[in-house]
Amino acid sequence: MMSIHINNVRKNFGNFSALNDISLEIPPGELVALLGPSGCGKTTLLRIIAGLESPDSGSISFNGEDATQRHVKERQVGFVFQHYALFRHMTVFENVAFGLRVRPKATRPSDAEIDRRVHELLDLVQLDWLGDRFPPQLSGGQRQRIALARALAVEPKVLLLDEPFGALDAKVRKELRRWLRRLHDELHITSVFVTHDQEEALEVADRVVVMDKGKIEQIGTPGDVYDNPATPFVYQFLGNVNLFHSRVHAGFARIGELEVGVPGHADTQDTPALAYIRPHDIDIQRQGNKDTLKVKVSDIHAIGPIVRLELEQGDSSEIIEAELTRERFGELNLVRGEEVFIRPRKLRVFLQ
Amino acid sequence: MSTKSYQNKIANSRAIAEPVWIRWLLIGGALAYLGLFLFVPLAAVFTEALRKGFETYLSAFSEPDALSAIQLTFIAALVSVPLNLVFGVSAAWAIAKFNFRGKSILITLIDLPFAVSPVIAGLIYVLIFGLQGWFGHWLSDHDIKIIFALPGIVLATIFVTFPFVARELIPLMQAQGKDEEEAAIVLGASAWQMFYRVTLPNIKWGLLYGVILSNARAMGEFGAVSVVSGHVRGLTNTLPLHVEILYNEYNYVAAFACASLLAFLALVTLALKTLVEWKTAQAQQPELSQEST
Repeated sequence: MMSIHINNVRKNFGNFSALNDISLEIPPGELVALLGPSGCGKTTLLRIIAGLESPDSGSISFNGEDATQRHVKERQVGFVFQHYALFRHMTVFENVAFGLRVRPKATRPSDAEIDRRVHELLDLVQLDWLGDRFPPQLSGGQRQRIALARALAVEPKVLLLDEPFGALDAKVRKELRRWLRRLHDELHITSVFVTHDQEEALEVADRVVVMDKGKIEQIGTPGDVYDNPATPFVYQFLGNVNLFHSRVHAGFARIGELEVGVPGHADTQDTPALAYIRPHDIDIQRQGNKDTLKVKVSDIHAIGPIVRLELEQGDSSEIIEAELTRERFGELNLVRGEEVFIRPRKLRVFLQ
Repeated sequence: MSTKSYQNKIANSRAIAEPVWIRWLLIGGALAYLGLFLFVPLAAVFTEALRKGFETYLSAFSEPDALSAIQLTFIAALVSVPLNLVFGVSAAWAIAKFNFRGKSILITLIDLPFAVSPVIAGLIYVLIFGLQGWFGHWLSDHDIKIIFALPGIVLATIFVTFPFVARELIPLMQAQGKDEEEAAIVLGASAWQMFYRVTLPNIKWGLLYGVILSNARAMGEFGAVSVVSGHVRGLTNTLPLHVEILYNEYNYVAAFACASLLAFLALVTLALKTLVEWKTAQAQQPELSQEST
């Protein structure tokens, strides 16, 4: 198994700084997600690990050996492209066999051996019956799995996937990412995948690397980055969040008339801050007290198992979002236009 | 886009359908125009050529000057087409797969032969290699003949035909992107293996189409070749030039016979072109053709 070290990598495209001093360590056998909005540099980083781009400065090493100058084809990486990049004029079988067929004579397996290995891989991705089809005849999910089988055929030490589920519809995407997770648990190849979909990253990866504007914002387990976002960006990017302008003074954050205790800011004196509250961390109650904020229910959306409320604060036009379980919503029996009180169960402030 | 579904769209669209008489008027007008300007001259070439019988027609080709003209035309095409093939593929590759300074200048330069009159193209070579030209003295001192000789004819032919292959391939390769090539390299293919196993199969029909067009132009070119050839009978006359000479000598049957050979080559080219277009359309939508089986 291979570990990957990325040291101080920079990459510019003209005036655009795609990667700005990125350092990252990927332990052997882990499945890591590079998560960020488009243009944050995640795909560039993936392509640099593969050797499809070269960094302007900095280095990449595999298992401690410097690989920055190593040619793509000597890096022993498997790469799954966003749009699969299957060879459209070859059958599925030949696509998967390609990496074995192009080997120099000395290391090329015999035809029988190639045949055996390809069928083994097609079995692994559960598509052995598609061997003599051509890529345009396959569905998106099938193409994705063939692309993966093709990448695995060369027995890569590292598997790199660029937006692996991006082009699929919602249902197939869910199935495939669980399948990828199981596959990884079987094969234990060090894997990196790029995604802009936070749900995908949180569900599949062992660790998530959140990136923005060419920089790493946070590295951590899915639980870590979701529960303890290190920066306002991570807070906003991972899931829905309500943003409040507040002032922090002597261990309390003040949002309108509401005062919430913020441990860790006991020494802060009257400083403006941004307070973040997740919609599902908001409690709704009928009676008000000093820990609550009076709001008006302006809209109610029932979406599957949850009910999403849009709430208006008296003096500001900003909408506050809250999420309730269907059960709790039933208990409260809320109607549109009603006045209720909200209490944040959990809140995080970032001083400005 | 698939031509098939596009055609279905046209056939199914009621909204833009014209009344029957307008449709017939448009179709009839287009056919009459084509007939007058394309079909009648083509028919005339063959009737004039065969006016004095098949024997006389054939004898036009057995004449040594005619044979040498045919030979010269084939040599010019045989040299220029492969050179343009190599150049066209390299240029299209560079333009479609890389970003570099001066890319737009290169694209414009490739179009230059379309914009410049072939006569001017010929004159440029006379100016450069002719006896009064830049390299004229040096060339005559070393006893190298370019103008009024085979090299000049080949140069002029290359000049007028070089956009065809590149022009055909650039949009095709741009549309295909470089993902498949990158995939091949990541899987361990060498540069040559990548080109031969991945790129070439993807562009083969476009490439063949470009070669056919390039060849047609190479064999039919008159203007540029006329300026650099010097019209030496049996030595530097290509087939189109030979036709002109015969015609000017009132040798109509022979002139039209040779012209009919060129016309025949053009027809074969058209047939090949249609075949390739049909194949390309098929290659672009294998899902349609194979799903129906």
